[in-house]
Amino acid sequence: MTTDDHIVFIVDDDARIREALGELLASHGMRAMAFGSAGDYVTTDKPDVPACLILDVELPDINGLDLQRQIAEGDHPPIVFITGHGDIPSSVRAIKHGAVDFLTKPFSDANLMTAVNAAIAQDRQKRSARAELGALRQRYLDLTPREREVLPLVVSGLLNKQAAAELGISEVTLEIHRRNVMQKMMAASLADLVRIAERLEIPITHSRRTRGG
Amino acid sequence: MTRLWSHRPQFLHLGLFAAAYVLGCGFAQALAIIPGTGISVWPPSGLFMATLILASRHSWPWWMLGGLFAELFSNVVWFHSPLPAAVLIYAGNALEAATGAWLVNRTLGRPVRLETLHEVLALVVLGAGIAPVVSATVGSATLAWFGIQSQSFTEAWPLWWIGDATGVLIVAPLALVVMQNWRDEARLTGARWMEALGLGLIFLGIAALSLSDYLPFAYIIMPPLLWAAVRFEFKGAAVTLALLALITAIFTISGASQFAGDPESQRQKHIMLQLFLAISASSALIVAAISRQHQVAVLTLRQSVEALRDRERELSQLVNLVPSHVWRLTPAGEPNFINKRLSDFLGLDVVDYDQPGMSRLAAAIATSAHPEDAPGIQEAIGHSLATGKPFSMTWRVRRADGVYRWVESRAEPLRDDAGAILHWYGVNVDIDDQVTAQQALRDRERELAQLVDMVPVQIRRLTPEGEPTFFNKRLLDFFGLHDVAQLEKPDMSRLAAAIQTLVHPEDAARLLKTVRHSLATGEPYAMKYRMRRADGAYRWVDGRGEPVRDHGGAIVQWYAISIDIDDEMRAQEALRDRERELRQLIDAVPALIWSTTPEGTPSYINKPLMDTVGVTLEDLTAPDSSRSLADVHPDDRPVVEQALARSFEAGTAFARTYRQRRSGGGYRWTEGRAEPLRDESGSIVQWYGVCVDIHDLATAQEALRERERFLWQLVETLPIMIDCAAPDGEPMYRSRQLREFLGYELEELDGTGKGRLAGTLDAGVHPDDVADVKESYARSLATGEPYARKHRLRRFDGEYRWVDTRAAPMRNSEGAIIQWNVTCLDIDGQVRAQEELRLAQERLARASQAASLAELSASIAHEVNQPLAAVVANSHACQRWLMAEPPNLERAQKTVERIIRDANSAADVVSRIRALFKQSVETRTRTTLGSVIAEALNLVAEEAVRRRVRLDVDVNRDLPLVALDRVHIQQVLVNLIRNGMDAMESVAHDRVLGLRVRARGDVVQTEISDRGLGVASPERIFEPFFTTKENGMGMGLAICRSIVESHGGRLWVEKNEPHGATFIFTLPAEVKATA
Repeated sequence: MTTDDHIVFIVDDDARIREALGELLASHGMRAMAFGSAGDYVTTDKPDVPACLILDVELPDINGLDLQRQIAEGDHPPIVFITGHGDIPSSVRAIKHGAVDFLTKPFSDANLMTAVNAAIAQDRQKRSARAELGALRQRYLDLTPREREVLPLVVSGLLNKQAAAELGISEVTLEIHRRNVMQKMMAASLADLVRIAERLEIPITHSRRTRGG
Repeated sequence: MTRLWSHRPQFLHLGLFAAAYVLGCGFAQALAIIPGTGISVWPPSGLFMATLILASRHSWPWWMLGGLFAELFSNVVWFHSPLPAAVLIYAGNALEAATGAWLVNRTLGRPVRLETLHEVLALVVLGAGIAPVVSATVGSATLAWFGIQSQSFTEAWPLWWIGDATGVLIVAPLALVVMQNWRDEARLTGARWMEALGLGLIFLGIAALSLSDYLPFAYIIMPPLLWAAVRFEFKGAAVTLALLALITAIFTISGASQFAGDPESQRQKHIMLQLFLAISASSALIVAAISRQHQVAVLTLRQSVEALRDRERELSQLVNLVPSHVWRLTPAGEPNFINKRLSDFLGLDVVDYDQPGMSRLAAAIATSAHPEDAPGIQEAIGHSLATGKPFSMTWRVRRADGVYRWVESRAEPLRDDAGAILHWYGVNVDIDDQVTAQQALRDRERELAQLVDMVPVQIRRLTPEGEPTFFNKRLLDFFGLHDVAQLEKPDMSRLAAAIQTLVHPEDAARLLKTVRHSLATGEPYAMKYRMRRADGAYRWVDGRGEPVRDHGGAIVQWYAISIDIDDEMRAQEALRDRERELRQLIDAVPALIWSTTPEGTPSYINKPLMDTVGVTLEDLTAPDSSRSLADVHPDDRPVVEQALARSFEAGTAFARTYRQRRSGGGYRWTEGRAEPLRDESGSIVQWYGVCVDIHDLATAQEALRERERFLWQLVETLPIMIDCAAPDGEPMYRSRQLREFLGYELEELDGTGKGRLAGTLDAGVHPDDVADVKESYARSLATGEPYARKHRLRRFDGEYRWVDTRAAPMRNSEGAIIQWNVTCLDIDGQVRAQEELRLAQERLARASQAASLAELSASIAHEVNQPLAAVVANSHACQRWLMAEPPNLERAQKTVERIIRDANSAADVVSRIRALFKQSVETRTRTTLGSVIAEALNLVAEEAVRRRVRLDVDVNRDLPLVALDRVHIQQVLVNLIRNGMDAMESVAHDRVLGLRVRARGDVVQTEISDRGLGVASPERIFEPFFTTKENGMGMGLAICRSIVESHGGRLWVEKNEPHGATFIFTLPAEVKATA
């Protein structure tokens, strides 16, 4: 039943909880890795698959909320907090910083699994978005320098004539560059190219109107 | 022909020659006044001869050709002779000219200057006398042959000869003068011109008067002629002769001359005329030559005088420049010259000595000689002047600047041929530096002489035969003599006499023999002997003699010295005495002593060694003069030999224990030691050794070692870790168990910069314990109290294990600590069990120490929720395993087990909480309250600082033990302390919390006092849920009272003066017997 395409990390100082959670997740067919402290979690090499982190708030070495803040800088799986005695300020703070859920011990199977599944789904989506953006970036890097100059002019909406004048090249040459850009960026239409440029955060530097006026 | 052509004369000269020749012919024709002869003075002969004399011989044919043309031309004009006759006559003339020129050139060489008498005579005799013979003979013969003018040979010949001779005499000099001086410029002064003019007038006047027959004698013309010859020499003579001939000719032709007459006497007169001209010419020429010669002589004389004067000047400079002082005296001794160098030196010239009333010599000596030398100079010069012997003396001369310098003067007389003295010539040589150097040399010699007398050595000099010739003063003084000569004795040599007189009778013969042997062989000698001093005492001296040799090696003399060594000899004697004493001492001491040379050859063994071992020095010396070690047990011999060899080689001390033979048989253990004796330079002089009998000691030591080994094995094998330390705590020994536990040897701690104890503690004791352990050790070491402590100790594999360490001092008879003995037991198992229990309690205690119920409940909730969460999760898992298709019973089973475990755990928590309030007595231990209070204070210390509360703690020592639950009593203490601090929250200053513990009867009473506002209702505050604090739950004091009462004590509050409250609780003391 255990599948390899996702994993749940458990960080709790109480071995009984670790055991019980691991068992519960196993019974749901999920792979789990348990850690006794935040330090162990941070230093251990972990598989690069969609994941969820079940994090105890009261840890011996560091407060779980502080760990959340520390790892916020890098790519980390979405967090589901668990605590022995949850208080409102802590839970608000955790959710504000992107936690998927904040569960008080003892918690029900359903609540935990909902949160875990939501977290894994969220992570999977984040990962695919990241991969898509990476592909777009790679395509952009494959452009020639001249094509990289052409791209912002085109997505800014300039006419070929205007863009050619801007770069001091002939209209025909510009047409060729534009076709290559469309091809290499795998843009089906100009609208598609504009959307890609937006995702790559390529600034729109020109306007057809001000240019014309 | 080409040769002839190349020697052709200039045609102008040839033309002039021919013209003059024709003129001469004309002149002769004009003068040929004798009727019927046609022969007269013949000037061309002079011209022709003069020309050939000057011309080169190769050009002669040209001149002859020119003469031929001129003569033939004249013949056509005047002579009208038949052509063959004319040619023949000319051939005679040419032959005459060639003969004359050849003779003259041959005699005089070229060029002919006619400046000496010799030259003029040659011209007159050869040119004018002999050459015309040729011409006259040819010419007369031709005339006779052709019958011209009916001349007979004898008649014509004399006329012809004299005519030609006259022609040569008059014309040749003139021609020579004209030809040679043609280009000379006239160098006559104005006076000479006047004289020449006057002479010319007088000459013309007299000539006119005398030849015009107005005066009777033609020869009256001679004085002016000779005048011209004397004053104007050859040129004057030639010119005047030419003039005379011309005038004479004119007058004769005109007939006015006395040489003109009737035809009968004409012949006679013409001869007279020619004679007159010839005599005048020869006279004038000879006088001119003499005058010329005189002039030359005068000129030469003048040049000689000039040269002589130059030479004299040079010599005078030479005299002045020679680097010595030159002077000259008259035969009478008066100085009449001194050279410039001398006058510069003296600052005076010779004339400066002139003084009235005394001679110049006396004045010079008085002025320039050193006053001490003046009489000697005077006498020496006087002696030399009187005897004419050379003078030589050394004296001091006063220089211009007043300094006297030594000079050496020498003078010798210059005599004329007759031997009379003309002058005395003298030189002074400055020898001041030499004299000064000699003086210095003499001073040095005197110093050396003094040195010889002053050195503290007796010196004497002997002839090669050995006769003493010189004793230095020290030696003379030693003997009390004045002179060596005093030693003379009749009929024996001075050497023998001196030795007999001055040397100790026992040494005399030996010394004499030694010295004589040296004298005979030339070898230096050295010996010690006694010499008699002036006071009769004999003293030892060290006498030595060596020969001095010349370059050839022959002995010139002997030098001998003697040094007084009497004191040294006596010291040596004393030393020998002392050595003898020492030897006796060494033989007397009851130790076995020996010595060897640096090489190891036995050199001495003392008597005890000989007697005890029963050996002699020879027994101990091997055949190769090394040590034989015959006294050493054969089994030990190689080891001893090796050790000795090593010591001797390295120069280090030898020490070895071995068995040594005894004279009675058997061997005894002996300790042999040897050390080298070194001289000042550090090289070994001798080895000294001693043998000590240690047999009994060695046996006892062996027994001791055996016992020690037994004890050691005991310690090593005991199943406990043992450590022995010095009085200062430094470990000295560790048993095998301890070493294995620690995993390192004791020695490995050395050299780390800290002591072994500190090293062990730092490396082994758990970091949390090390400070306490060190402190405990320090206290025990300082006080001598036994040490006992439990702490964690690092095992070799890195694991910390609990050990129980106990140490007790070992004291000597005076009670001073000589060693600490430490045992160490591994109690890790027990401690861990206790520790786990305690940890659980502490966790609870920490939770319960939180004074507020909220915290307590949160803590309880956490403790309970943890297992509950696990139980819930496991339950869900179990459910899922069971509901799975097919059900996973195995895992479900495992999950259920966990559920049970965790649920029990939760139940434990709950039961412990209940126990907290029930105060079960199971956990009570007997302890002193002091340690519990210290722990409680640790818990609140940080908080007190934060709240700026001073804790004033006073815990009595020697408190009885109390049975208590540590955690609960701590909770009471913390609670009461916190309450006190809370009470002083509103007090601005003077926040002092007092804590006092004392034994009171059979209870231990603890008082906690604050300076807060005090308690309004002392009894109600102990009721549950009664609180005076804003956030309080009102449970703290109720729990505290219940805890204290459960321990059998009481808790109450009292008012504090002036303000504040004191909470007091008591705990019952245990019975003393159980303490």
